[in-house]
Amino acid sequence: MKRWLALALFSLVLAPTISSSAPMDDLHDFVRGSWQGLRQAHAGAPLIVHFWGVTCGPCRAEMPQWGQFLKQHPGLPLVTIDADLVPNNADTVKSMLQQSGLTKAENWMFDDDFVERLRYEIDPHWQGDIPRTLLIARDGSMTTIDGVADFARVALWWRNQSAAAK
Amino acid sequence: MKLDVLTAAAIGLALCAGTALAQMEHHHDGMHHHEAAGTAKCANASLACATQAIPTFAPDGTLWLAWTANGTVSVAHSRDLGRTWSPPVAVNPKPLDLDLGPDSRPSIAVDRDNRVFVAFARFRNSKFDGEVLFSRSLDGGNSFAAAIPITDDTESQRFQALALDADGSLFAAWLDKRDRVPAMARGEKYVGAGLGFAWSNDHGATFSAAKIAEDNTCECCRLGVGLAGPGRPVVAFRNVFGGTVRDHAVVTFLNPHTPGPIHRVSVDDWQTDVCPHQGPTLAVSPDGTYHIVWFTEGRVRQGLFYASSADGGRTFTQPMQIGDPERNPARPYLLSANRRLWLVWKEFDGKSTTVSLMTSGDDGRTWSAPRVVAHTDDASDHPLLVGNGGRVFLSWQTRAEGYRLIAVENTQ
Repeated sequence: MKRWLALALFSLVLAPTISSSAPMDDLHDFVRGSWQGLRQAHAGAPLIVHFWGVTCGPCRAEMPQWGQFLKQHPGLPLVTIDADLVPNNADTVKSMLQQSGLTKAENWMFDDDFVERLRYEIDPHWQGDIPRTLLIARDGSMTTIDGVADFARVALWWRNQSAAAK
Repeated sequence: MKLDVLTAAAIGLALCAGTALAQMEHHHDGMHHHEAAGTAKCANASLACATQAIPTFAPDGTLWLAWTANGTVSVAHSRDLGRTWSPPVAVNPKPLDLDLGPDSRPSIAVDRDNRVFVAFARFRNSKFDGEVLFSRSLDGGNSFAAAIPITDDTESQRFQALALDADGSLFAAWLDKRDRVPAMARGEKYVGAGLGFAWSNDHGATFSAAKIAEDNTCECCRLGVGLAGPGRPVVAFRNVFGGTVRDHAVVTFLNPHTPGPIHRVSVDDWQTDVCPHQGPTLAVSPDGTYHIVWFTEGRVRQGLFYASSADGGRTFTQPMQIGDPERNPARPYLLSANRRLWLVWKEFDGKSTTVSLMTSGDDGRTWSAPRVVAHTDDASDHPLLVGNGGRVFLSWQTRAEGYRLIAVENTQ
């Protein structure tokens, strides 16, 4: 577990230093246990987790909006997880993250064909539909957005989370 | 040469052994970098590496199996219920970017003269537009013709299903996006995909020009195909009602080339723009009753449901919930055989995936209590049912156990 945390922290420290034009080299493999590690690495802080996939039409339309949202809200703790129901190729995922302006986010990709298990660890009732976004508050309470996100709602949530910190 | 199934499993194990070990370590310390995960994969076209396996019995009782592994669709047959298999033959010797969506899988049918028909889909471009390919074997599965497109249209096609009619005609249905081109030319938005179909009346040598039975159906779910009578296919599909509601429908053909009106199976009111990737399963019992099981997360109901129609799909019974809603029931499969209905589905409790079975001897009015007939603790394909006129089997490909054909007729 120590090695895992070290790697997660390393990626967190590293992520903000990558410029959006730089080639993406950090795409973490999401396997069994990754969710627990990810939650621990971000424990006590607000977090937005966005699930998407390259073969998902609505996701492809939404991703550049997340890139724009991240640009408008520097320091936004944004995690993206490619959870495509059709297995994806890492290069395609990286390329879409770059095109969407999301290289500064913490990016993951499902890399285990036991997808029921991966999804169950995140939410026992999630059947895999994407796009899907989780807004995780400082106290760990979670709000799920099924389908394409309403960015006004996300912005309000983030303002409230930031205000609570002050 | 016969390849014993145990030998095949052993070869698969040998090929994967190093990586299985790596993966176990990987779970212990929670490491997650590319090298570890990248090697944890079975890398050849063998059945041991398959992620999907699709069975069918030929009229002579031979079991045929098509499977997908690392971009290759292969076929083998067994005369001893899967104990030993003929040497596998690749339908596409050169690996392709196959459509590996959870509900996408090759379709296989074998006729009275042991002609073997296989249809499958690949992605033809980086936009994930699909192409349905068709191949046949005229020498008892020793060789397959080069796979060719089932239609000459080049818009996206996926989720094909084959069905053999009583006279030997071959019906093919699939989801087809050709009608989005004229819609877009008119400046209109085209939601979903059309339900395309074609027939082959020359044992798969050629197919009739494809037609669209219905536009704007859901674009990512498998079809359920059966026959209401000679030349009269029935197709169950997830439709898009009113542009936003992804509930189920059936269409029955009036004759081979004329689809009848579509009828709604149930008002679940699942308003969504996302792709559920979970299509229906359909069986037609000998008296012509339609039986369907489907998944929904609609406003009205959520989970797996069963309904039947005794009037050719015009009206359906009140939906009956299937499985334990707390264990994510999914991936149902229905079979009508031996004057009974057989239904299997998957459930998952966070660690173990089980396949449950229930049966009905009175055309779906009452059902046996569900009974677990198989389980696995790693990745698995959808559970499928197959019958040979006397016996009924669960056919299930799982990563840990490989391919299993499990007799279930004594478990009701």
